[in-house]
Amino acid sequence: MTWRTLRQRTYYYLSVMTLRFLVLLWLAFLLAAPAQAVSTGWKEAPHIQVELVSEYQAVSPGQRFRVALHLLPQEHWHTYWLNPGDSGMPTQIHWQLPDGVEVSDIQWPTPEAFSIPPLMNYGFEGSTVLVSEVEVPADYAGTSLVLKADASWLVCEEICIPGDMTLELPLAVARQAVVSSNVQALFAQGKAAQPVLLQRTASYQVQDGVFSAVIESKDDLLVDAFFVAATDLVEHARPQEISWQDGSLLLRQPQNTYFHQAPEQIDIVLTSGPQSFVVQAHRLDAGSPAVVSAEFGFGAFLLALLLAAGGGLILNLMPCVFPVLSLKAISLANNSGDSARQKRDAWSYTLGVLTMFALLALMLIGLRAAGAAVGWGFQLQNPWLVGALAYLFFVLGLSLSGLVQFGSRLMQLGSGLGQQQGAKGSFFTGVLAVIVASPCTAPFMGAALGYAVTQSAPVALMVFLALGLGMALPFLLLAYSRRLARLLPKPGAWMDTLKQWLAYPLYLTTVWLLWVLGRQAGVDAQALVLVGLVCLAAALWLWGRQQLGKGFRLAPQLSWVFALLAVLLLVLLQPQSGQQEAVGQAHWEQWSPARLADLKAEQQPVLVNMTADWCITCLVNERVALNTDSSRQALSDYGVTYLKGDWTLRDGEISAYLQHYQRDGVPLYVLYWPGQEPKILPQILTPNTLRDQLAQLAATSSGG
Amino acid sequence: MKLKQLISAMALAGTVTAVAAAPQIGAPAPDFTVVDSHGQTHSLADFAGKNVILEWTNHDCPFVVKHYVSDNMQGLQQHFTEDDTVWLSVISSKPGSQGHVSPEKANELTASRSANPSAVLLDESGDMGRAYDARVTPHMYVIGADGNLLYMGGIDSIPTANPEDIPKAEAYLANAGNEVLAGQPVSKPVTRPYGCSIKY
Repeated sequence: MTWRTLRQRTYYYLSVMTLRFLVLLWLAFLLAAPAQAVSTGWKEAPHIQVELVSEYQAVSPGQRFRVALHLLPQEHWHTYWLNPGDSGMPTQIHWQLPDGVEVSDIQWPTPEAFSIPPLMNYGFEGSTVLVSEVEVPADYAGTSLVLKADASWLVCEEICIPGDMTLELPLAVARQAVVSSNVQALFAQGKAAQPVLLQRTASYQVQDGVFSAVIESKDDLLVDAFFVAATDLVEHARPQEISWQDGSLLLRQPQNTYFHQAPEQIDIVLTSGPQSFVVQAHRLDAGSPAVVSAEFGFGAFLLALLLAAGGGLILNLMPCVFPVLSLKAISLANNSGDSARQKRDAWSYTLGVLTMFALLALMLIGLRAAGAAVGWGFQLQNPWLVGALAYLFFVLGLSLSGLVQFGSRLMQLGSGLGQQQGAKGSFFTGVLAVIVASPCTAPFMGAALGYAVTQSAPVALMVFLALGLGMALPFLLLAYSRRLARLLPKPGAWMDTLKQWLAYPLYLTTVWLLWVLGRQAGVDAQALVLVGLVCLAAALWLWGRQQLGKGFRLAPQLSWVFALLAVLLLVLLQPQSGQQEAVGQAHWEQWSPARLADLKAEQQPVLVNMTADWCITCLVNERVALNTDSSRQALSDYGVTYLKGDWTLRDGEISAYLQHYQRDGVPLYVLYWPGQEPKILPQILTPNTLRDQLAQLAATSSGG
Repeated sequence: MKLKQLISAMALAGTVTAVAAAPQIGAPAPDFTVVDSHGQTHSLADFAGKNVILEWTNHDCPFVVKHYVSDNMQGLQQHFTEDDTVWLSVISSKPGSQGHVSPEKANELTASRSANPSAVLLDESGDMGRAYDARVTPHMYVIGADGNLLYMGGIDSIPTANPEDIPKAEAYLANAGNEVLAGQPVSKPVTRPYGCSIKY
């Protein structure tokens, strides 16, 4: 035995004597209570002692209880955490348990950081309690339960010694579980050493050489250090940056040299003085919303279907739908007693409605799958579509007003009341009903349908179909229930008057659509569509006169010319960005490749911000670092033009710009300073980032 | 005002930025000039035109022992040196710290373990280790015949000290070295190194 090892051993025994008082106390208890073994007792291994301890001396079937691997390394020696840092190895336990007995992963205590420049390790010195939870199945038949653990560890001071040991702890199985009172202090110590789970929204990202995490923290939790529970994300030995911005805790550290993959979810342990907490952070993927939607339970799914069907039923009363369908319902219900035909018509109509809803759902699912961040209501985001709907409602309104009679099989209203109608006609009435209903669904059901769309494709489709079924339900009921049909008034001359009254809700719907259009595409585009409406009115007036036999020779042709003119006007519509109005007051302008090129050519400093409504980091950054008085001042001090590109809906030009900077998602912040390479700012901005970067650029360009 | 700008610029330089110290895959590997256990001086330029494998080692480190008692390391050394690749075992432990050895001890270790490195470099100053940002033993690097760094990381995928895990592991270094020999791009050029800290 060399002098060194002799000294170490002596030191070791002395250190055990002076170690944790609690442990000695506990050992004394153990000796005094020999009745039931709840510990394997200390097992010696080089530089460390280990034991396996059970919270209960007798366990019962169906019970969950805690077991602990208790490690006591020699003084100044340590074992390792789940993420050991730059070297080392976490302690591992492979359990051999009877069939059906389950055991959890180790519930790790909060680690300590051991800095050995240039490296950093995370681990534990002194008495270390690694708790796992064991679950005994309810049908466990044995009279004893042997916990067998193959434990392996690495214990290090300057040098490292790997160790492994198989620990066996037999426990009695009884109807009544018996707790081991003398180990409660040990389990309490184990619990106290673990971080407390915080339910916070947290996300993280590894990009451009930097690990960053954003944790919702309204109470400004004071954090002095963090530990990332994954091996190769952060460069452990490099300084950590911790800051608070307006209800968010921001953590940053350079990316690990050996980083290659970011797990979907990681634990981040936060220490705050003697306290420690753990949050679960989701990986924030470029170009996807950070919030993972909750899974639909089956009950919630049924409820969603029911609500959707109810919503569909209500749709029939909407101002855009009611005028078109109510008269049709009456005509169908009074259809001269041909019950078979009525049923066939009702089903054809239902099929039309369902087909159209399925098409809409698939379109929406497809758009989302393609990456567009659209919600229900996307149909109102396209000015041409809004214009076309305005035309449709106006034409329907004029028809109800009696300007023209449509004999087509699409809508058999008014003159067609008594006419028999084919299954095909009913089908297309269903399709039309959904189209006229679509502008009404957006404001009234947008949120609910938007939620459905975030679910899996089959779930979303089912919700849309339930909505369709609800919408078609009145027609099915009328076809199948004679009694219900008898409640409806008989058709007569009064229907003409009602029809003319019902035109007005349609005109109002037209006005609303024009308002939406004006907001979207500007007053010029709105005027263009209004001229289009006048053309349509002229076309229909000419057509109506023709129907009454009052037309002149070229009236049908002229009518077509007007109709075509209306369509042409819509096609020519040039939406000007509705945002431009806001730009006047805002400190940013809308980004475009041309504008950026112009500014660069003029040797102007430019800040480009690529953002999207669904990007949390983008919004946080704007709120805390870009839209602040200090940053506005910095932009004006340095004469920087701030261009903002919105990628909320996919935009080819922005995508190309992002690719140019090797990005496939937002946020992206680029500072252009005349005569210098474009500078990419970090993904997580602090209030001073912009001012500091500008100062740096200004200093280098004038100093260099 | 000017001073203020400079100060904030300096403050910024101290904050979180991408790692610059570590060598980059695809870039020229850091040069070195180190004496080997036979007193001969080597530098990277001497090996121009040949593939070079660097192995950071410490004979007492359990993770190194794992690969020597199993003959895994010796096998790799033999396989690659036979294929005209230069294999350099590097010891960066500073004098007085664990793992530091005299030239005689280094040669004795090579003989007693039947190791086959082209040379054992005694990087007592740690300069070479720091230039490569070598962190652990064993930490492995592959440098191409053109002097560019092609691989850095672990010897394999299971970070334990148990020799029984070697056959179950994905042999990162062997795969990278073989890909380089076959003239193919390295499929996993960066992996996590595991082992004992280097005692700089």
